[in-house]
Amino acid sequence: MHIDPAVIERIGAIAGGIVVGFVAIYALVQDWKTPGVENNVFKLMLLLLGVGAIVALLAGVGVLGTFHGGAYSS
Amino acid sequence: MAVAALPHDVHGEVDQLYVETRELRLQGFLLFLVSDCVLFSSFIFAYLYLRNSGQGWPPAGVPRLDVAFAAWNSVVLFGSGATMHYALENWKHGKFMNYMWCLIATIVLGAMFLGGQGYEYSLLIFRDHLSWWGSGIFGASFFTLTGMHGFHVFVGVCYLTVLLLQSAAGVYTRSKHFGITAGTLYWHFVDVIWVVLFSIFYLI
Repeated sequence: MHIDPAVIERIGAIAGGIVVGFVAIYALVQDWKTPGVENNVFKLMLLLLGVGAIVALLAGVGVLGTFHGGAYSS
Repeated sequence: MAVAALPHDVHGEVDQLYVETRELRLQGFLLFLVSDCVLFSSFIFAYLYLRNSGQGWPPAGVPRLDVAFAAWNSVVLFGSGATMHYALENWKHGKFMNYMWCLIATIVLGAMFLGGQGYEYSLLIFRDHLSWWGSGIFGASFFTLTGMHGFHVFVGVCYLTVLLLQSAAGVYTRSKHFGITAGTLYWHFVDVIWVVLFSIFYLI
């Protein structure tokens, strides 16, 4: 039985995206009330990390990365 | 007594110096990250300008990028951001072994990302004949930006490895650990930059 490596990669991206997205949002909620410049920067970074995980998840699903304008992507 | 008191006094002065200069160090490091952000932004906007000023995109002859593999590799890097965040949290809560395992996981995931990028480069260069110098705007932009980011990841992996060794040697304490904080900030920054690069090269 032959499995396309792209399918495995997409499954990995979807599973990993869910886990990382959940962890990033959870950590953001946990740290939400911590004060200080450093912690505010961490919150911003965690938010963007969560966004990145969701973007990777959507790319894994095929919602992103399949637009006609991005025709050089598979 | 004087000899015995000296190390204690010196240690106290060092701690006081650390407390007094910590905010300055933090601001300095954040300024460094902002300057790095400006560097990446200039290349990113140059790429977007060139992309939108041409006769159509993608240029003829540009190979197909593998979105599935890039998405997987991105998740590996984002996962390392999560483990690095928990490394710092564990350190703050005095869980040394959890910190060490999270830091090791971060280093391994960072190295995996670099390996994945190397694999992707090898396919693009040797199979698809895409090059930095001979493939027009796309090749130059792609290799410059992703290469610059990959170099940052490489530096980050080296930095985290040094942190691992320093932590094992007892350099940091629960109240004195700016190196770990800076490492976490740097690693998050590298993650966030990849969100942008992944989006502009693979998704839009």
